[in-house]
Amino acid sequence: MSLFQTCIHDSHVKLGAKMVDFAGWHMPIQYTSIVSEHNAVRERAGIFDVSHMGQIFISGKDASSFLSFVTTWDMNRLYDGDCRYCHILNEEGQIIDDTIVYTFGNEDYMLVPNASMVGKIFDWLNLQSVNFEVSISNKSEDFFCFAVQGPQALRLLRQYFNLSISPFKLVKSGNIIISGTGYTGEKGYEIMGPLSESLEIWESFLEMGALPIGLGARDTLRLEKGYLLSGTDFNGTQTTLESGYSWVIDWNHNFIGKEKLISQKEKGHKVLSGILLEERGVLRPGLPVYLDGVQVSELTSGSLSPILKRGIGLSYLDLPIGTMVNVLIRNKQLKGRVIQTPFL
Amino acid sequence: MSEIPENLNYTKDHEWVGPSEDGGVKIGITDYAQDSLSDVVFVELPNVGDEYQRGEVMAVAESVKAASDIYAPISGKIISINEKLEESPELVNESPYGSGWMVLMEPSEDMSALINAESYKNSLD
Repeated sequence: MSLFQTCIHDSHVKLGAKMVDFAGWHMPIQYTSIVSEHNAVRERAGIFDVSHMGQIFISGKDASSFLSFVTTWDMNRLYDGDCRYCHILNEEGQIIDDTIVYTFGNEDYMLVPNASMVGKIFDWLNLQSVNFEVSISNKSEDFFCFAVQGPQALRLLRQYFNLSISPFKLVKSGNIIISGTGYTGEKGYEIMGPLSESLEIWESFLEMGALPIGLGARDTLRLEKGYLLSGTDFNGTQTTLESGYSWVIDWNHNFIGKEKLISQKEKGHKVLSGILLEERGVLRPGLPVYLDGVQVSELTSGSLSPILKRGIGLSYLDLPIGTMVNVLIRNKQLKGRVIQTPFL
Repeated sequence: MSEIPENLNYTKDHEWVGPSEDGGVKIGITDYAQDSLSDVVFVELPNVGDEYQRGEVMAVAESVKAASDIYAPISGKIISINEKLEESPELVNESPYGSGWMVLMEPSEDMSALINAESYKNSLD
């Protein structure tokens, strides 16, 4: 199967990016180096092509009650122009995907699922919508999406669009949607719009000084903040409670998976926790985690924090914050501490 | 274009072996290897006194994305390691043939298993 290409694929190649297969897309993993791109976002501003992400529109009389039913959040609590991060669960309370809901009006919403999950989420929404008067359309192929992130990101937004944005709010400029969202923990926003306008915006932001950033740095940036990576930190078998994101649950409304979450809450459960390596080394997904010589878990994510210069990772653990564990790397037990994320 | 100094010997696995003023031979990874790895953020070196057969894993260089084994280019005993790499692994990127060297080895065999600069260059094409 050939890989999908985003609308500005040729620009990545011209910029000399190393390209990789990511969720069926031919995407830039780095343009120069992961560490320098990571630091550019923390210190200045970077722009990411994340056009592989999905855009699913939900409209109709029951749009609000439908989305409240299929996500962990109650849409009645959102106003026009609000964006909300939440989870889409199956009946077992397990995370199918995490997403951001964009509120254009109480009968007009957009969901942004992860690239690899667009088809599954679209099918799931259709399956669940039989008793609701809603129309669901997958417009993922019609939209580009760029994330501009970093302390200087807002200056670039004013410079180009002559407007500003608050965290988790959205504004429209013509047919462009701009939201105060991102995946780096820095100030920033995401820009979505029709493919025909993508190249002009991409090149303008590069000219204004935003550095192009690949998926490699996107991963280290999100990991330093303890943000979940779909398919890696959850793969269909973990619940929202286990992921440590209980704050995305509004318990005062009815939603798919709620009953299971309630019973799990009573019984207790593992929680995705941070592990900060106390010795020199780099953590990797899949490495086994030991407590007192017995393997208790493995890492879902792992890397080296370019800012802390320490190995960092995530693992589903039933251990208090502060517990000392070991991570087995190449037959060596390296000391790590269980910590509350974010790492940074 | 990778830099490939004429005065060094190489392996097809992208290690270089060169003369050392302190006796023994200096070993590191090539410019091509450091560029492929990208940011080296961690280097695990052997202990002084360890002995390796040619082709055995002797060290590991890790980038943000991946770990890469470094093989003993020849058989011998480690007589010194570049301790600067512990604090500054980026030296491997900045100066792979200079301050980014990895170990000093006392060889227990001759250099006949190694290839010269021209052969190494051809192996990259």
